[in-house]
This record gives sequence, C-alpha cells and structure tokens, in this order.
Amino acid sequence: MTIMNFVNAFIFVLLAFAFQTSITGINRKVMARLQKRRGPRWYQQFLDIFKALSKSSISHGWVYDFGVIMALGGIMATVIFIPVANFRAFPNTDNIFIITYVLAVGMLGMAMSASGSGNPWASIGVGRALTNMLAYEVPFMIVVVTMIFAFKTASVGEIAEIQRDLGIFGWNLFRMPLGTIVGLISLQGMLGKKPFDSFIAPAEIASGPMVEYGGKHLGMLFILHDLSTFIEVSLIVNLFFGGGSNFLEFGIKYFIVYTIANLVSGIMPRFKIDQAVVYFYKFPLAAALVQGFIVVFTGWGVTRWL
Amino acid sequence: MNLQMILLLLLLGGIITYFISRVNTKLGASSTIVLSLGTLILLFLIKDEQLKYSLFYFNFETSQIGWYFSFVLALTYGMTAFYNIYYMDKILYPSAYNALYILSLGGSVALFFAKDFITLFVFWELVVWTSAFIIPMGKSRKAAYIYYVISSIGSMASLYAILWIYKLTGTFVIKDAFLALDVSLWTSIIIFILFIFAGLTKIGIYPFHVWLPLAHGSAPHTFSPILSGGLVKLGAFIAYLSVVIFPAYDAFSEAWMIFGIPAPIYALMILGAISIIIGTLMAIRQEDAKKLLAYSSVANGGYILIGILMVDQITFAGGLLHLFAHAIASATAFLTIAAVAYRTGTTKISELGGMIHRMPITYTVYLISIISMAGIPPMAGFVSKWLILQGLASKGLLILAFAAFFGSIGSFLYVFRPLAAVFLGQLAPKYKELKEAPIFMIIPMVIMTCITLFIGVFPKYILEMIVKVQTEAGLNVVPLEGTSIQIFNGFLDAYHVFVIFGFGFFIALVLFLLMPKTRSVDLMDTYTSAEFIYTPELLHYAHDFYAPFERLYDKRPDTLSLYKKVSLKIKEFGLFVDYAFMGNKPAVTLMWIILFITSVTIGGMIS
Repeated sequence: MTIMNFVNAFIFVLLAFAFQTSITGINRKVMARLQKRRGPRWYQQFLDIFKALSKSSISHGWVYDFGVIMALGGIMATVIFIPVANFRAFPNTDNIFIITYVLAVGMLGMAMSASGSGNPWASIGVGRALTNMLAYEVPFMIVVVTMIFAFKTASVGEIAEIQRDLGIFGWNLFRMPLGTIVGLISLQGMLGKKPFDSFIAPAEIASGPMVEYGGKHLGMLFILHDLSTFIEVSLIVNLFFGGGSNFLEFGIKYFIVYTIANLVSGIMPRFKIDQAVVYFYKFPLAAALVQGFIVVFTGWGVTRWL
Repeated sequence: MNLQMILLLLLLGGIITYFISRVNTKLGASSTIVLSLGTLILLFLIKDEQLKYSLFYFNFETSQIGWYFSFVLALTYGMTAFYNIYYMDKILYPSAYNALYILSLGGSVALFFAKDFITLFVFWELVVWTSAFIIPMGKSRKAAYIYYVISSIGSMASLYAILWIYKLTGTFVIKDAFLALDVSLWTSIIIFILFIFAGLTKIGIYPFHVWLPLAHGSAPHTFSPILSGGLVKLGAFIAYLSVVIFPAYDAFSEAWMIFGIPAPIYALMILGAISIIIGTLMAIRQEDAKKLLAYSSVANGGYILIGILMVDQITFAGGLLHLFAHAIASATAFLTIAAVAYRTGTTKISELGGMIHRMPITYTVYLISIISMAGIPPMAGFVSKWLILQGLASKGLLILAFAAFFGSIGSFLYVFRPLAAVFLGQLAPKYKELKEAPIFMIIPMVIMTCITLFIGVFPKYILEMIVKVQTEAGLNVVPLEGTSIQIFNGFLDAYHVFVIFGFGFFIALVLFLLMPKTRSVDLMDTYTSAEFIYTPELLHYAHDFYAPFERLYDKRPDTLSLYKKVSLKIKEFGLFVDYAFMGNKPAVTLMWIILFITSVTIGGMIS
C-alpha cells in the first residue's frame, strides 16, 4: 500500500464516475428516442448532479448525514476494488465476495439514512429495496459460486483473464449460457430497472427511499447511484463477457451491456415486489442451479470445452 | 494448578455468590462480574498448557478446542455480567439467579475440558438445569418447559450413545473410546446420530429450533445474550466431538458419498441449511426484537454446524470463527435491546422508535453488531462468512451455498428491522425524556463492539487460535500471512479492506463538508403527500415491515403447532390403549381373551 495506490484509486473513482455519468447521459437520449422524444443533452446528468451538490439542504439529524457519507464511502471503496482490464488500484482486492459485501455497506448506509429521515415512505422504499435484493442476489451468487468452483479462483480479474485467454468463445457467455441469462436478469434487479424497479416506483409511493433528499444529499446519492451502476455492470462484463484487455474494449462491452439493460427496461412493465421475489425464485434460481450442477457434475463449459 | 483453580472458582464461587447475594444483591451481581472475568484471565494463564486434573470421579484435561470454547463463553458471560447489577430488583429470585449464572458458566467450562463421557454428561446436565431454572425468571414458564424437554431429548439420546460406546469399548475416556470403537457402518452411523443429538438440540437445528425463540424471547434480558452468545454454542462443541474426535469421516468412509462427504454428515448439513432458511424467514416476520434475534441465532447456528461438520481447511476455520463472531455480535445486539428495554420497558418493535435521538451510543453499538451479524466488512462476521462461502464454493456445494446466501442476504432484511423501527424513525412523545443507558451497560457494549471491529480488521488473532485447534485435529491449517488470509481460491486482507473503506469514507466526508451547510429540521418536518399529520406515532413505519414478502409464506405451518398435533395424536393413542387394556370393563377384557385364544388357535392350525 503506497501513496501511489491511493492516488491511482482516487483517479480511478473519478474516471469511473465521469464514464458512467456520460453513459447515463447518452442513455437518457437513447431512452428518449425509444419514446419518440428528443431527450436532454448528453451532459445533462453532470449538470443535474453539480446543481444538486451546490444547493444547501435540510438535515433530519446526524444519522441522516452520516448514512449518506457511509453509503458513498462504501460505494467508492467498492469501485476501487473493481478490476478493469489489467488495472487494479490495489493488488489482490478484487475478490468477488469482498466486492458484493462492501457494496452492501453502501446499501446499508443509504437505507439507514433514509429511515433516519423519519419519513415512512422512505422506510417502505427501503423495505422493498431489501426484499428486491433478497430476490436477485441469490441466483446471481449461485452462478458466481459455480464460477469459483470451475476456475478455482474468486478473483474477478482472474476470472475475466481466464475467459480472455481462450478467445471469444472462452467467454462465460458461451461456456455458461444459462448462467449468463441469470446474470443479465439479476443485473436488471441490481440496477433497479424495470421490471424490478418497484422500490423506487415513480408515481407509486412518492419516490421510495429518496423521498426526503434534496440539495447536496441528493447530489451525493446521484453520484452513489452512478458509481453503483458502474460496479454492477463492470461485474457482469468481467464475469460473463471476459472483461477487456484494455480500457477501450472494456468500455465498449460496458456500453453495450448497459444500453441493452436500459432498452429492456424501456419496454417492460413493472413487477410488484412479491411478484419479483416469486419470479426470481422460479426461473432464474432453477437456471442457476441447473447451470451449477452441469458444471459441477459434468464439467461442460469448463473442462470439456475447446 | 490453574485448571483446578478455574473449576473450583466457578463451582464453589456459584455457591458463595448465593450467600453474598442473600446479604446484598448488588454485591452478588458484582461478584458474578469478578468471577466470570477472573475465569477469562485464568484461561489466558493456562493458554497452550497441557494440564490434567481429577476431582472425585471427574477427570479433566485441557485441549485447544476446549480452551477456545471456554474463551468465547467466558468473554460473553463476563461482558453480560455487568448488566446483572441493573436487573437485580427486576428478577424474582436474585440470589438464585446470580448463583445459577456462575454455575452455568462453571458447568460449560468443565464440560469443555472433560476427559471422559461421564464428566461431559454430568456437567452438560448441570448447564441444562441451571439455565432451565433461570429462563422462567423472565416472562414465561412455558418457555422453560419446552427448553427442558427438548434439551432432555438430546441429552438422553447422547447418554444412550455414551452407554452403548461403553458397552462396546469398556472405557469412558472420550479419545480412547472413540479410537477403540470398531463397529459396522450402520452401528457407527446410529451411534454418531445419537451422540450428536444433544448438540443439534442445543444449537437449535431444525426441527429442534422451537425452544430458541421461546427461551431467548422470555428469558430475563440479562440471560438472553448468554443463551444466544454462549449456551447455544455448546451444541457446536458436541458437533466437534462427533466429527473430529470420533473420526466420523473415517468411520463413514464406506458410506454413500455426496460431493465427497459421507451421506449421514451431508444430511446433517442439509438440516443446517434448512435451519438457515427457516431461521431467516421467521426472523424477518417477528414483531419482538428479542425473538427476531433468537431466530437469527437459529440461522447462524446453521452456518456454524455446516462449518464444523466440514472438518477441512477453510470451511471448518470459518465455522469456528463464525462461532466467535456470532457469539460476540449476537450477545451485543441482545445487550443493546436489553438496554433499550431497561429504559423503556418493552422489546416490541412497533412500540419503540427514534431511540437514536436519546441513546446514540446504544444505537452505534447495535449498528456495528448487526453489520457483523450480516457479514458485512470490516467486521468479524464478514471474515467468517467469507471463509465459509469460499469453502463451500471450492467444493461446489451448491445447495448449501444457496442456503448460505439466502441467510446472508436475508440477514440484511431482519437486522435492519430493529435498526429502522427501534432506533430510527419517529421518536414517540412518551420517550422524549429518555436517557442514554447507564455507564456499566455502556462499558461492556463498547468493549464488545471494539472486539468485533478489531477482529474484523485483524482476524488473525482469533484465527491463530483456530490454527492451533486445526493442528490438534490433524487438519491442514488455514494459511495466514501478515494481515492476510491466503487460501487456494481466494485472498482476503481484511486490513486492506478496512483501509480502503476508510479512504472511501474520507473522500465522501470531504465532499460532504466542502458542499454548502445543511439546515437542521425537526423529524416531523417531512414530506407527507400534503397530509397534515401531527402525531409522531402515525408517521412511524414499524409494523409489518416486509408485508409483501411475509405474505408469501404466511400460511406455512408452524413447527411448534406440528409438535402439538403429534402430541395430541400420542395422547389419543394413549387414551385408546388405556381404554383397551387398562379399563375395568369385563366385556373388553373378555374380548381380548377371546381374540387371543382365537389367534393362537388359528396360528396353531396354520403352522
């Protein structure tokens, strides 16, 4: 751990933020075209964030502030753990369980802050968000366990590298097709996109966990949202699409995955929260287990491939 | 020398405590602190020593595993003992409570160091009896009955196994008896299952988990942390004896293998997995904070059982570390609830709210303990869960991994409920005058929080103890290097994770401070969709927190009511037998005589 690591990490977080926020901006345009609108300029998302940050806001007590800081801190730490191409800010920290559980610090911080506002709508939103998490995370993690078993490593960077070494057909997209489908469905839930967006549920319960926020709190939560999107999409790109041998390749894959997720979201209706749970515990869970048993018992896609 | 000091200190100390408490209850409560913390210090004095001691018919011998368990229990007892001072006037029989408190610790430590089965069994019963008398001092007596009945089922099964082993080998000494045991596969499976029964009932593995929520929920507030953080862990010790000392993997080497694990052991692991799922689901829907934490103990018991039964390099270490992490975190969480109950007089989640504004330290302690319970870094619970998950992944145990993840994500749901509804949210006007918990409640809570955080950042201080246990058991040890754990399929440097998290937090803090200042507003000053609400209770969302999710399994039959149905059927059968055989009606007797003669005659004709 040298000072250089921290400088790299800081620059990496800034780049990740700039990258994802631009892509969010572009995707706002894509969505607009889907709905036959012109859409905002691609840098509108930056303007929104900086404007929110520059406004003063209200506070409902220390946990309301502390939760936001803890959430953004946790998410930034998680971004630092994410391996992109061959870049890692700190060596040996890209363990998948570390990433998923440090991500949870951010989620917990935000949930805490939202409940700390004393607004029941926020608590309802948090309850739904956590239930949603229980739904999408379990099938996804089973696929991850399958990968750890198959590749004998839990490092996200190494899993991506193993896939890249075998060329395009070495990607888990082709080696574990069922697992990839599960991963992409789970991504929809992780990003809080339709059909699994009932915890934000615009026009249903005011605005879910975010109801009380304004000013700099909201600005920080916007940053948090963009960074957590970066984490989740990067995970999918690394685990199923072979990561990238350089930043450009990674960026292109990232853009495609994210845009597809957004387009799917654009044409989907919304599940109720209990329907989402039931859905995830039917097809995606079954597919994840089937994929797992195929790999564990037969080795198809891992040892018996190419 | 020191070993006998510990044992005599605790066993005689219990009696002395009784007489001190008769004179002055507060003084008696203080002596529980001194005795349990003294045990902890003495334990550190005999660390790594090979000691033997005999007292009447009882033989003791130190071992690494016994030491590790004693350490966890003495720590939990010592920290919780501080609460006794404040609860003396709320408990019905304070002198008896203090004496039983120390005796149950003495019994536990004695059984961890037991050399033979008789010692093990006698002190096991001592622990069961002492705790069975403490539990009814709280809210209900029924809980104690159920606890005692289920414990007895376990102890009797184990006693049967012990006597069977004695008949086969002629010795009661645990290690010799297990080594000399040379029986067929089926006999060894039956002995194994019978012996581990006591452990399963104690750790609250499905379907024996029913006693936990009842006992934890209605025990005195000072004893719930002990039950969850200490006594439940006794079951893990029996599990350890059954799989490691009784080399179950060798004995079952000819059994049907599932993923390289003998079927009987795998079946128990599946029971552990079911406990994780049932514990999680039930914890999510509890309305009482203590019952909620009790069900979470059921779920975590499943992790510990799976870890210990695996007897390998990674998962086993994870299981033992989880034992420590959960004992501390769960006891801390119970202590915070006890502190809240001390001030407010209730543990019902929906009756509380906004405690953070009156008890900020208690809130922080609860926050850190649940972060550990949910297995989030940088707390001890994360390291143990990480080891267990890595171990399960390395063997491709998908069903167990499913349960582990379900329990892990599910724990975010249930630990968040008390956080949101007890500590956060609106503060009811009747609690406006509340004070922070008294100083001797704060001290143990803060110490335990520091332990959780410290072990989360430097897990090697506990893992080194576990390495010794693994060496003693003849296993590959979990590889530690500096601050990191390096296993073949993963790498964890908890210290780095902590520093990077701190770095992220620092950036976020700077960003927050650089931006314009905030304006403080009242909690009631929230967005309410243009309604005018002036009653804080109405703006507090605590009841049916996860209603949409709970609805999915509302109709599930309860295990306790299942038992009630079975007991009803047995009662009916008994009535039938009573009517048919024991009655004084000549007609019925005549019928049996005729039936008997007829069957004998017919049987004779056929043959």
